[in-house]
Amino acid sequence: MMALYVALAVGAVLFGVGLYGALSQTNLVMIMMGVELMLGAAMVNLVAFWRFLHPETYAGQMFVLVVMTVMALEMAVGFGVGTARFRAKGSVEMEEARELRG
Amino acid sequence: MILAATAILAPLAAAALILALRRLPAALALAGTGAGLAASAATLLRVAGGASLSATLPGLPGLPLRLLAEPLTALLSAVVAVVGFFVVVYAVGYMEGEGGRVRFFAGMSFFVAAMQALVLAGDWVLLLAAWELIGLSSYLLIGHRHEREGVPQAATRAFLYTRTADLGLYAAIFVLVAHAGTSEISPTLQTGGAAATAAGLLLLVAAMGKSAQTPLQGWLQDAMVGPTPVSALLHSATLVAAGAILMIRTSPLLSPAVLLLAGLAGGATALLAGLVALAERDLKRLLAASTSAQYGLMLLAVGAGSSVAALVHLAAHAAIKSALFLGSGVFQHARGSTRLDRLEGAGRARPRTFLGFAVAGLALAGVPPLSGYFTKDAILAAAFGSPYAPLLAPLALAGTLLTGAYVARALGLLWRGAGAGGPVKGARWMGAGLAALALLAAALGLAVPPIGELLTGQELPEGALATVAGLAATLGGLALGWLVPEDRMLGPLRAPAERGFRPGGGLDALVARPALALGRAAARFDDGVVHAAVLSAGRAALAVAAASRLTDERGIDALVLSLARGTRRLGGRARELQTGLVHRELLLAAGGAALMLVVLTIGAAGT
Repeated sequence: MMALYVALAVGAVLFGVGLYGALSQTNLVMIMMGVELMLGAAMVNLVAFWRFLHPETYAGQMFVLVVMTVMALEMAVGFGVGTARFRAKGSVEMEEARELRG
Repeated sequence: MILAATAILAPLAAAALILALRRLPAALALAGTGAGLAASAATLLRVAGGASLSATLPGLPGLPLRLLAEPLTALLSAVVAVVGFFVVVYAVGYMEGEGGRVRFFAGMSFFVAAMQALVLAGDWVLLLAAWELIGLSSYLLIGHRHEREGVPQAATRAFLYTRTADLGLYAAIFVLVAHAGTSEISPTLQTGGAAATAAGLLLLVAAMGKSAQTPLQGWLQDAMVGPTPVSALLHSATLVAAGAILMIRTSPLLSPAVLLLAGLAGGATALLAGLVALAERDLKRLLAASTSAQYGLMLLAVGAGSSVAALVHLAAHAAIKSALFLGSGVFQHARGSTRLDRLEGAGRARPRTFLGFAVAGLALAGVPPLSGYFTKDAILAAAFGSPYAPLLAPLALAGTLLTGAYVARALGLLWRGAGAGGPVKGARWMGAGLAALALLAAALGLAVPPIGELLTGQELPEGALATVAGLAATLGGLALGWLVPEDRMLGPLRAPAERGFRPGGGLDALVARPALALGRAAARFDDGVVHAAVLSAGRAALAVAAASRLTDERGIDALVLSLARGTRRLGGRARELQTGLVHRELLLAAGGAALMLVVLTIGAAGT
């Protein structure tokens, strides 16, 4: 059981770091890094729960695969947006990107 | 019974078709009245053979409509059909080139249909309905040339007079039906006692109004403004005859007192209307006054207790008077007027028309062997034979004398004097109608008395004294009218006779003025009360509308607007959340997720 708690603790730390990163950074790339970390934490948790609580089912693994796909897509879309932004404005600083202000 | 119904339905269908198609009015009217004539004649033949036909039609609940073809009604129906047909034949010529032919022929057909319904009715309800319908159609036909001055007044006058007298019929029917418990005519005629007297008096009032008896005679002469065929039909077999027909049909009901009154009223009319006819300066008005007088003689015959004499005189008079009117219509077309001073010599210019006119006129006067001689003889004999002979016989004789006098006067005026007339359009049709009716007027004398006897089972009254006195009166009247100018004959009576014996406006004061005053009062009531009520209702509606507009503006509109304002303000607040800064929004998302986590945790702990 100890191992589960260790894994959960690692996941929590990862999530905290990712959250902090996403909130504190102003660069789009860095924000996405934070988001990646949070997703990674979620995956750690999922794997830990599957491995230590229900190793007989594969549903947990499936979830991880789904999250991984989402990560890949997020990367693709996010970097696409970043590239377009950079080309148009010469910067990906999110403090300057206020066009969507209501 | 279908035959008898055809007599009603054929002219009715013709009227409907004329109005619907609006073309060929004359041909349709001829076809309709001709079919009616054939049906009527067939009915008469079958009834004369001893059959009595009747039919019950569904009418009002509890008041079925009955048709009855017994000898009396079948004979009357035949009279109506014959006269109606020949008058329509004549009208084809008379109306050539005149306006409103659709209206005219539809009205004539409808008139004949309504009259057939009246004579064939076996039921008070149907009789009353037909009675009203002939009143309506005569109003329409008298007012045919409504654009001319005085015509609408004359039509209204005729309508008002007859309608006022009709109240008597209504009341009589109420009395009879309430007393006998059925609306069928024949059982109600067995009513006796006070109810019979009351109903008889009321019926007499109705008959006097329709038959233009003194003192209700004024309207008939004014009705002469209608086209001449209308006058011919009106006077001979339809509207005016309806009164006499009513008295003849209800004669078994009448008590001695009512009979005496009817006889006196008829006699007085024969006398007064005869004087009026003698003084008249217009041919058609002369004939109208003579109509009143002849129906007076019929009422006198009913009053003398011999309704069969009245019936045969009615039939003969129908042919005679329609022929006279048709002749006067030809003269009218030739000279453009019916004033006697303009008609002088018109007869000499058109000898064939004059022949027909003269035959009918002499028949009216009662010259043997023309029809009027036989019927007038019967009336005189009835008067001499009645219990009230001292009262009735002199009146009847005076009426006969006057008839001779005014007939001779009219003939004299038409024959003497010179002057040719213009050509007459449609003379062939007019001549055909006139010839047929004049022939009937001449020949009916041979046929009518035996027919009347056969049909009614009563003997025609006879009397040597009556015959001699009647002939003397007739010939004396004719000689008087031919030889003596009417001014000298009438003397001081001339002026009141020319005014139609209307003391102080006559019955106008009794009938027309109250009716008009009632109308004015109704108009005032309408203006004052109904109008005001309607206006105030409108004003109230406006006030309600204004109030509702106010609440709408102040209440509902305000509510809706404040809702919109609130929503917009809320939207403004919500907009401030949307900064466009990515990390700020991420923070919000994280905060929201944390909040959700807390809620879920609490929820999970709760279970």
